Amino acid sequence: MAGDVVTAHFPRRLLIQIVATNIFRYLFRGAARNWFRNIGSAAPALSSMTLLLLLSGLVGLVGFALYNLKTIQSAEASLLHVYVRDDARPADVDSLWDRLAADPRVASVTYTTRAEALARAQHMPGLPQLASATDSNPFPASLDVRVKNIDDVASIDRLVRYEIAVDPVYSTSYDRGAYQRIQAFLLGIAVAGLAFLGLLGFVAVTVTMNSIRAAIHSRRDEVTIMQLVGAPRWMVRGPFVIEGAITGALSGALAGIVVFGLTAAGIAAASTSFAQFAPGVTAAVAAFAAALVFATGLGLGSGSSLISVRRHLES
Amino acid sequence: MPSVLRPILEFAGVTRAYGSRLALDDVSLALEPGELAFLVGPSGAGKTTLLKLINREIRPSMGHVWVDGLAAHNIKASRVSALRRRVGVVFQDYKLLPRLTAMENVAFALQVGDLRVSDDEAKERALDALEAVGLGDRGDSFPHQLSGGQQQRVAVARAVVGQPPLLIADEPTGNLDIDTSWEMMDLFADIAAFGTTVLIATHNVEIVRRFQRRVITLVHGRLVRDQPAGRTGRMAWLATS
Repeated sequence: MAGDVVTAHFPRRLLIQIVATNIFRYLFRGAARNWFRNIGSAAPALSSMTLLLLLSGLVGLVGFALYNLKTIQSAEASLLHVYVRDDARPADVDSLWDRLAADPRVASVTYTTRAEALARAQHMPGLPQLASATDSNPFPASLDVRVKNIDDVASIDRLVRYEIAVDPVYSTSYDRGAYQRIQAFLLGIAVAGLAFLGLLGFVAVTVTMNSIRAAIHSRRDEVTIMQLVGAPRWMVRGPFVIEGAITGALSGALAGIVVFGLTAAGIAAASTSFAQFAPGVTAAVAAFAAALVFATGLGLGSGSSLISVRRHLES
Repeated sequence: MPSVLRPILEFAGVTRAYGSRLALDDVSLALEPGELAFLVGPSGAGKTTLLKLINREIRPSMGHVWVDGLAAHNIKASRVSALRRRVGVVFQDYKLLPRLTAMENVAFALQVGDLRVSDDEAKERALDALEAVGLGDRGDSFPHQLSGGQQQRVAVARAVVGQPPLLIADEPTGNLDIDTSWEMMDLFADIAAFGTTVLIATHNVEIVRRFQRRVITLVHGRLVRDQPAGRTGRMAWLATS
C-alpha cells in the first residue's frame, strides 16, 4: 500500500477548480449546512447580536444627529443676537454696529430685520407654532454678532447690554453656561450609550462564543478525524469561523434592514421636523449606517467565533 | 548485516511527564519501512502516550521523535497537518462519521487531507481502498449498517487511502470477536507487506504470540523488552507481574 504516489499532472486551471470546489464544499457549504443543523444553539447568538446591532445602529444615528446638533449649537453659541428695541433710532443702531464691527474680537456683524427674524424662526424646532400663533410679529430686529472666540461672547454681551439702541428687557441671546450644559449633556449621553453598547457587545460576543463552543462539542468526532487525517488547521477551524460569520451577517442584515426602515419611515412621516431634530440624518446616511451595521455583524460574528475556536479547539 | 533503510519511526531518549508522573521514561526505538510491530504492556504502561507522540497529539518532555524524516518533537503547529498525513491512525472505536457512507468516510479523509484531490479521484481511490480491505461492495453502506469488523475495515481503509508510510493502531481489535480480530490482523500484515510500517498497540496476547512479529513491551513507561520478529516468547509485562 505504501510507496510513492504517482500523481497525474493536471492543467493548472483544472487544479485550481478542484481546490476551489473542495474549499467551497468543506468550508462554506459545510459551514452553512452545520449552521442550519445547529440552528437551535445559534438562535440565542443570532437574537442577542441582532438586538446589539439594531441598538448600535440606532444609537449611532442618534449620536450622528447629536454631533450635528452640537456643531450647530456651537456655531450658534458664538453668534450673539443683540436685540434692537423697536423704537431705536437708526443712528444709534448704526453707531453700535460700527463699534462692534471695529472690535477685534468680532468676526462679523449683520443686521436682521423683524421680518427676517420671523422667517428664520419658522425654520427652528418649536418656533413655527409660536410664529404662526399670532398675527403680529413677536420677533425683534437684531444685530447678529459673530464672535471669533466663543469665550469672548460674555464680554461682548456686557459691552452691548446697556446700549441705548438695545432692548432693555431682552438685550441679547446670551445664556451663561448654555453651551457647557449642552456639551456636558452630550458627553453624558455618549458615555451612557457606549457603556450600554459595551455591555450588550460583551453579552453578544459571549453568547456567540458559547454557540460556537457548542458546535465544536457537537462535532468533536468530525473535528478529531479531520485533525488526525492531516487536514490543515485553517480547514478545521474555518467552518466554525464561517458559522460565526453567518450568524453575524444574518444579525447584521436583519438589524441593518430595521435601522434603515425605521429611519426611512421617520423621514417619510415628518421630513421637516425629522430634519430639525435629527439634522444630517438622511436616507443615504441611514443606508450607510445599515451597511456599517451589516459589516459590524460580520466582523463580530467571525471575530467571536475565531476567539472561541482558538480557545476550544486544540491543534 | 545492519539495515541501510532509514527508519520510518524513531524515538531517541523520549520522556513524557504528566506533572511528576512519567508516562514514558527514556524510550528509544526505531521502526523500518514495512515492519509490523506490536506494542504491548499493561494498562497505564504508556502505549497510548507513545502513539500520541507519533502524530503529535502531545509533545515529549525530553528526547526526539522522528516520523518519516519529520521532527515531531518540535514541529511547528502549522506543519502538524503535514506530519499527520504521513501517519494513518486506527482506533478501537472506529471513529467513523455516521452521516457519511463507507465510501464517503474514506473519501472525506482523502480530500480534507489534500484539497487537490478531485471528487472522481477521491471516489476511485476510496473504492480501491475499500476493495483492498474486502469491502468493495459496501461503499454505499452507512456505518450503522455495517458490523463492528466491517466498520473497523472501513477505518483501516480510511487510514491507508492516503498511502501513509506509517500506520498506527490503538487496540484495533478491542471491540471485535476473535475471528474478526484474526481477519483484522491479517489485513495489517498485508498492509505491512506492501511497505507500510505498522505499529499496533494491543492487549491481545494470543494475537501477538501467533503473529511472531516484533514485540515492544512497555511497563510503567519504560521499554523493558524489544523482541525481534519470530522470537516472541512470554510478554515482559507478564514476566514482571
